[in-house]
Amino acid sequence: MYRNKRTGTIGIIITIFLLILVVILSNMNTQKMSGVENALATLVMPIQNGLTYLKNKMEGNDTFFTNISRLQEENEELKQKNSDLEQSLRELEMIKSENEILKEYVNLKDKYKNYETVPAYIIHKDISNYSNVIVINVGSSDGIEANMTVIADKGLVGYVLSTTETTAKVQTIVDTATSVSAVLNTSREAIILNGMQGNYTTLKATFLPTDASILQNDNVETSGLGGIYPKGIHIGTVKEMVETKNTTDRYAYIETAVDFKKLETVLVIKDKGTEISYNGF
Amino acid sequence: MKKFLVIVGIVMAFFIIYFLQANFFTWFTISGVMPNLFVILILWIGLFIGKKMGFVFGIIFGIYLDLVVGKSIGISSIMFAIIGILGEYLDKSFSKDSRITIMLTVMASTAIYEIGIYLFRIIKWGIPVEIMPFISTLLLEILFNVVLGIILYPLIQKTGYEAENLFKKKTVLTRYF
Repeated sequence: MYRNKRTGTIGIIITIFLLILVVILSNMNTQKMSGVENALATLVMPIQNGLTYLKNKMEGNDTFFTNISRLQEENEELKQKNSDLEQSLRELEMIKSENEILKEYVNLKDKYKNYETVPAYIIHKDISNYSNVIVINVGSSDGIEANMTVIADKGLVGYVLSTTETTAKVQTIVDTATSVSAVLNTSREAIILNGMQGNYTTLKATFLPTDASILQNDNVETSGLGGIYPKGIHIGTVKEMVETKNTTDRYAYIETAVDFKKLETVLVIKDKGTEISYNGF
Repeated sequence: MKKFLVIVGIVMAFFIIYFLQANFFTWFTISGVMPNLFVILILWIGLFIGKKMGFVFGIIFGIYLDLVVGKSIGISSIMFAIIGILGEYLDKSFSKDSRITIMLTVMASTAIYEIGIYLFRIIKWGIPVEIMPFISTLLLEILFNVVLGIILYPLIQKTGYEAENLFKKKTVLTRYF
């Protein structure tokens, strides 16, 4: 009985003590507990952060997977649009190229409008390193005959060697077997021009009169002699004069007006051996 | 039948070379100099099939080229025919198994063909003689042909021996015994 009375007193005292402790803690400022809070947070927060990151990631992936099919559709649409645009670009480039060729024809026609001319494409260039004969896409059915003069936008190209019904072979002035009778524009001195081996932009002028003064950049044009080329067609300009010990052997280099490497379109003059009023120069 | 197929193959090879020369090799050049694959083709015919075929194909292909792009008919035919005949004599004198021999024959054939054509142009049209420009162009052309010969050597050898077995009816060993 005594033992029970004593145990009851101790229980009452502990209960009172716990009550007082609860009252004190509940009325305490929480800021004063931040140290303990931090210590506890340090233990759990990294783990919590990791778990939250994984959770968010899973939610994000889920969105990604759901969007794949939509993105694929968009991608297909864009590819199709890109393909359509590329096709349009190609068509535009072709139209532009055709337009340039037609402009070239119109320019050529205007320059030589007093003469009956036939425009033509170059369809074949020479396969040899030692000659320069081209084939054009007009022939006897278009009224082309041998020895007709062939010109381009900037000047003389050559003459027709032979024809078939639909094509014509043209010997260019840069072929080593070609000789052109020409005159210097300022002094009107007569010279002979020959093609040079392996050179598609320069002619060699020989038979220069001993007393002739040759000016650099002087224009050179056909003389009309020889019966093939009409008079007055521009050939090129004097590039360099080479003096030799013997004045009769001196010669000059003439730069052709036509770029034979890039030549694509030409005009065949049907008239033969007459003077041309060339408006280009 | 197999011989006929070989002949058809040669004609096809000629046209392939023609279009390559007229299109691809007009811009794929060494300092503006094109190779001459026709020489290699005619040489191949002369070396592996024989001088008669080399001569005939040389004449036919030469006339065709003269008609299409040449200025006078005959000179290319004559020079190709010479290369075709020369092929068999080279075959008798040298071994075709050596890559170097093939290269040397390509060099010699290219030089003979182009010098012949050049001399003809000097005589026929009186073109001014320009030795140095001609030699520099010729050397570049020979170099180009040799390089192409090296590249095409396995094809030349393989097809050549097959054609040789058909037309000459001999094995490689017979020449040594």
